[in-house]
Amino acid sequence: MIDSLSKTVSSAERFERVGVPADPGAAARTRDDFSRWLQSNFDLDSYKANDLVLAIYEALANTAEFAYVSMGRVGTMDLRAAHDPSESALSVTVADRGQWRTAPSSPPDRSRGRGIALMKALADRASIQTSTGGTTVRLVWEGIRRR
Amino acid sequence: MASGSTCVVNERLVGQVAVIATSGVVDMITAPQLEDAITAALAKSPAGLVVDLTDVEFLASAGMGVLVAAHDAAPEGVAILIVADGPATSRPLKLVGIADIMPLHATLDEALATFTA
Repeated sequence: MIDSLSKTVSSAERFERVGVPADPGAAARTRDDFSRWLQSNFDLDSYKANDLVLAIYEALANTAEFAYVSMGRVGTMDLRAAHDPSESALSVTVADRGQWRTAPSSPPDRSRGRGIALMKALADRASIQTSTGGTTVRLVWEGIRRR
Repeated sequence: MASGSTCVVNERLVGQVAVIATSGVVDMITAPQLEDAITAALAKSPAGLVVDLTDVEFLASAGMGVLVAAHDAAPEGVAILIVADGPATSRPLKLVGIADIMPLHATLDEALATFTA
């Protein structure tokens, strides 16, 4: 299925995957593309590189797993990464137009639900904005320099 | 970093201890493979279980959930140990507190030594 709204941008400053199907396979492909973009543009040690890739994957995986469950369809998600060379900051947003499942399972299942904790621990700044229109995760890292 | 969601899981016995060696990517697609291997290994009533993540190049929260579920499901007295070292495995496991739930070892030899000590 080709989404007519899908868009791909990849430059030294920006990486965008817009209109990606919110499913596990697309989440993995987007993760791998993002990882290659990071490796080819930024000077990162293996720890920082893994931190970034894992955090954005958790955001994508959350969307793929939960965002459109209650809507009964596979929606789309957008990943946008932008590097600000003057601030040496990389900011990434992952946005969907669905609804995250917010009610915890009862009793709480401690084998699940570490995705958000991971994102917060891995990024220098993390925020999650939820509205009726969807959810946007914003992750920011500092000290990220171009190669 | 590994590309795609390819995960290889091998199981063997070292004495009475089951060792599950995993390599590649453990994410939301491949975590069920690890879960199945752990379930199968525990069904054989080993003295202990070591999940060796040495060759894992990417570990997502889905995989961490499998480890915690295994820890919670293991029979009384059956220790489950994790072998993990480096940016892709031990770092995130420590960040979200899995290392506080179950023992983390840097090498397989170190993990196996705890059973013979």
